[in-house]
Amino acid sequence: MQYAATYTEAELVQGLKARDQKIFSYLYDQYSPALYGVIVKVLNDDSSAGDVLQDVFMKIWRHLDRYDETKGRLFTWMLNIARNTAIDILRSKSHKMEQKIRNMPDDVHVVDSLIAVQPSTDYLGFSRILEKLTKEQRTLIDLAYYKGCTQEEIARVMDIPLGTVKTRMRNAINQLRTILNK
Amino acid sequence: MDPQHFISSGIIELYIAGMASDEEIRELEAAMAQYPAVAEEVEAYRRSMEEYIRLQGKNPETDIKTRLFTQINNEPNLQEGEPVPDQDLQQPKVVSMQETKSLSWKWLATAAAVLLVGSLVLNYVFFNRYKEFKEYKDKYQSLLVSQNSILSKSNLYKTRLEQMQESMEIIQDPKVLKVPMPGTKAFPEALATVFWNPQSQEVYLKVNKLPEPTADKQYQLWAIVDGKPVDMGVFEMGDTASLLQKMKVTGKAQMFAVTLEKKGGALQPTMEQMYVAGKIPG
Repeated sequence: MQYAATYTEAELVQGLKARDQKIFSYLYDQYSPALYGVIVKVLNDDSSAGDVLQDVFMKIWRHLDRYDETKGRLFTWMLNIARNTAIDILRSKSHKMEQKIRNMPDDVHVVDSLIAVQPSTDYLGFSRILEKLTKEQRTLIDLAYYKGCTQEEIARVMDIPLGTVKTRMRNAINQLRTILNK
Repeated sequence: MDPQHFISSGIIELYIAGMASDEEIRELEAAMAQYPAVAEEVEAYRRSMEEYIRLQGKNPETDIKTRLFTQINNEPNLQEGEPVPDQDLQQPKVVSMQETKSLSWKWLATAAAVLLVGSLVLNYVFFNRYKEFKEYKDKYQSLLVSQNSILSKSNLYKTRLEQMQESMEIIQDPKVLKVPMPGTKAFPEALATVFWNPQSQEVYLKVNKLPEPTADKQYQLWAIVDGKPVDMGVFEMGDTASLLQKMKVTGKAQMFAVTLEKKGGALQPTMEQMYVAGKIPG
């Protein structure tokens, strides 16, 4: 997944700001799996995820002028657009988070399956590396990142004391960093 | 807070997970701008988080790319992007629906502005047309008025002309006798003429000169038949006096005379008020 194999990030940004459709096509090929993965994980809904992905790339195309490379990498910027767009949809639709959470069983493993954090076979490169995270750590990260849950919501869903959410989250993120940053 | 404190505070981890509060985000971003060490630390966490996300990537259906490029190529105003809220850039945090709202709001505003400008232009054009139209309408109306007055005058002249024509025909008819009636001794200035067709028995009167009577009086024409006065009717003065006026018919007469009587005429002529009289020639 080395997106800079052909273009450096600077070249990419320059080409995109010049509205080069070839570069945009390259950008799509490089980033659409990651962004699509985010959308699918947020929405838990493969049928609408395609339209949302198209919408996200339209936003990227339209808002390129507003991307500021001094504030962060292009991928970070695009991920935030994808995540925010998908979470907006999740929250605005009939997806009433509160209700969902209230109706959730207490058992972490059931919650886990409802929020669909377990990897399916078609996830790209989802490897044994991630198995070094505990199931609880992945659920924590996924609820926060993919579902946009607050600490209170996470405490309720996972049935853990509010005070320990922060601590466990820190541990999970630190573990993630240890596993992935080589 | 010094940079080391930030790094060990645990805020960065929460920030990366998208769970930091607004205040924590503000503090951390300020620290990132101030201390490169903090920024580096955040970046290291971010890369691991992004790798985690990337590992869970999924290939979308191939037709989405086709649809995307079709949409891009049909997209107007590519240079005018809708504003992305700043938190979209850096902050892994939930934003409200504002962005999508602002998108439709912007389109609406643009459309409204375009419509407004269009409407103003049309207003100007139509107002000018209306002004022009109003001018024309006023002109048209005054023309209509003058045309009407010309028409009525023309009708008047036409009627006059026809009456004159009629009078001429009567006068020129060889069967018609012209009977001049000069003024009597009491009214020597007066003069009137009778045109009489003994065959058709028609009698016409032409006032040549008679004083205008008071409103309660009218002149009356008499025919003297075998020494007796026969009423031939009253006649008008004023404008009508210039024309031949048709009187009652008579097949026999030796003389015609005009007296001034009360309005509507009298049964017997008032001899003292006889203005003109004339014998039938021959």
